[in-house]
Amino acid sequence: MSFDSAQLALSLPLLVVAAGGLLVLLLEAFSGTPARDEHGGRSYLAVAALITLAIATYAAVGQWAEAETPKAIYGGMFAVDRFALFVDVVLFAGAALAVLLAGGFLRTHRFEFGEFYALVLLGTAGAVMLVHANDLVALFIGLETMSLAVYVLTGSWRRSARSSEAAMKYFLVGAFASALLVYGIALVYGTTGTTNLSSLGGLAKGTGGAVMQEPLFLIGSFLIIAGLAFKIAAVPFHMWAPDAYEGAPTPVTAFMAAAVKAAGFATIVRLFTVAYGRPSLTFGAGGWASICAVLAILTMSLGNLAALRQDNVKRMLAWSSIAHAGYILVGVVAMARAGDDARGPILYYLLAYTLTTAGSFGVVAWIGSRGDERQNVDDWAGLAARHPAAALAMTVLLLSLGGFPPTAGFFAKFYIFRVALSQPGLISLVLIAIANSLVSVFYYLRVVTAMYFREAHRPFAPVRASGMTAGLIIATVGTLALGLAPGWVIELASKATLLGK
Amino acid sequence: MIPVDHYLLVAGLLFAIGVVGVLLRRNALIVLMSIELMLNAANLTLLAFGRARGDSNFQALAFLVVAVAAAEAAVGLAIVVGIFRNRHTTNLDELTLMKH
Repeated sequence: MSFDSAQLALSLPLLVVAAGGLLVLLLEAFSGTPARDEHGGRSYLAVAALITLAIATYAAVGQWAEAETPKAIYGGMFAVDRFALFVDVVLFAGAALAVLLAGGFLRTHRFEFGEFYALVLLGTAGAVMLVHANDLVALFIGLETMSLAVYVLTGSWRRSARSSEAAMKYFLVGAFASALLVYGIALVYGTTGTTNLSSLGGLAKGTGGAVMQEPLFLIGSFLIIAGLAFKIAAVPFHMWAPDAYEGAPTPVTAFMAAAVKAAGFATIVRLFTVAYGRPSLTFGAGGWASICAVLAILTMSLGNLAALRQDNVKRMLAWSSIAHAGYILVGVVAMARAGDDARGPILYYLLAYTLTTAGSFGVVAWIGSRGDERQNVDDWAGLAARHPAAALAMTVLLLSLGGFPPTAGFFAKFYIFRVALSQPGLISLVLIAIANSLVSVFYYLRVVTAMYFREAHRPFAPVRASGMTAGLIIATVGTLALGLAPGWVIELASKATLLGK
Repeated sequence: MIPVDHYLLVAGLLFAIGVVGVLLRRNALIVLMSIELMLNAANLTLLAFGRARGDSNFQALAFLVVAVAAAEAAVGLAIVVGIFRNRHTTNLDELTLMKH
């Protein structure tokens, strides 16, 4: 293995984000600004983080043409392909929205500190590594880098008991999931002698695939799938998610729901497509397509039913994000037969969902004031009369989550369901998904009716910060734009090449 | 020489004890220790397989797991300290601020 400059250049998006994270950390350490500054004393760090993300996006976009033929670098550990680059840009968008939302939120609740922005960048670096990982070892390290940063971010509101509690639950379940994953990797490595996804894929296609019927290999694979299912909060591995999402500082929740979930799904897609292409591992009672179909049904149904009975808007959105993981899993199931055709819709869904969910949590972050987070749906009553723009933004975002045209959420579901319907035997799965989307409309519209048709019972004192306003506008306009002109994005996404496919 | 199966069995038992500990014990510190047990079970598995196959890459992976476990313990203990400051307990059953 050699580290020549060509390889370094190909991993530029990862290097930029990691270096930016360390730089922000140093800037914070050497800045003389007092820790509790209410007047935007840390804004320059947010700007530094945004510039880092912009450069990283530029680097990722610059590699798009070159990545039409996928490359493996660093001894086959790191894949550079269009699939990974597309998800990179989604991750950078999610991270940038989290940074934009964070400034005003942190200042309002008096816990702004520079490490926050550094941790967002380092967590994004871990996510980028995860998305590019073409080796179970790189996958594990990327997953841990991302997760450790997000655990700390979740608990970063140290005075809030809910934040600490959320961090505790998220950490214990997350560490448990990583332990499952690493034991699974050990078993897969032990039975096959390789951790490289392409090598595993070669083994699966060739005559050596018999080793993939061994019980130890299958147990290992189940443990890896379970570890990843925890990360995307698929039912029944979801129990940490509502509490962690509700307790975490809201910009962090946006980051978790958007970037962490997108990275998790990208990993699942790469793992299944590249390493587990063998039909005996895909179909049948123990195949991943069957496992994902069961997970999808459970995740959609339980997520939506639980969201129906929430009075807390933030917790409702947390359950709704679990339900959305179920819809994406329908796409993963479709991928078993449709192969390359299903990857475009999944990528479109990840982008649409990232903008929409980060935006909706952004409005939740915006509406609260110090000591009063206003998370109950009654607290949202009458918002349209006082703050029509914010109410309109929230309405657009909720309609997108519910899958109404002409928003991004409609086409995201449409593309996923269409590719699933083109495969035999998935009609019942799609019907369950459509029934679930209809159920979800009730709880999304409940917030909309509260905002438009009820009287406010106490005055609003939302966060006033230009960064937050910009973040909300970008998320809302992006959601609408993706819905009004979905063609070119799905076009781009369907050209996403994947290494080893 | 002890056959590789014996090591794998011990590792499997350690892993099972760790899983049971995570699921049944309610003290955050004990749960954290149980997770460490699971990670070490993975390490033992890696080393046993590595020796049986004569492949030193397994040891490199075991080192990475040790490093990650150390980072995880650092973050985990910080979170336990954080929650103890706020709530004066490390019992997971008492962490019910957000049950609906």
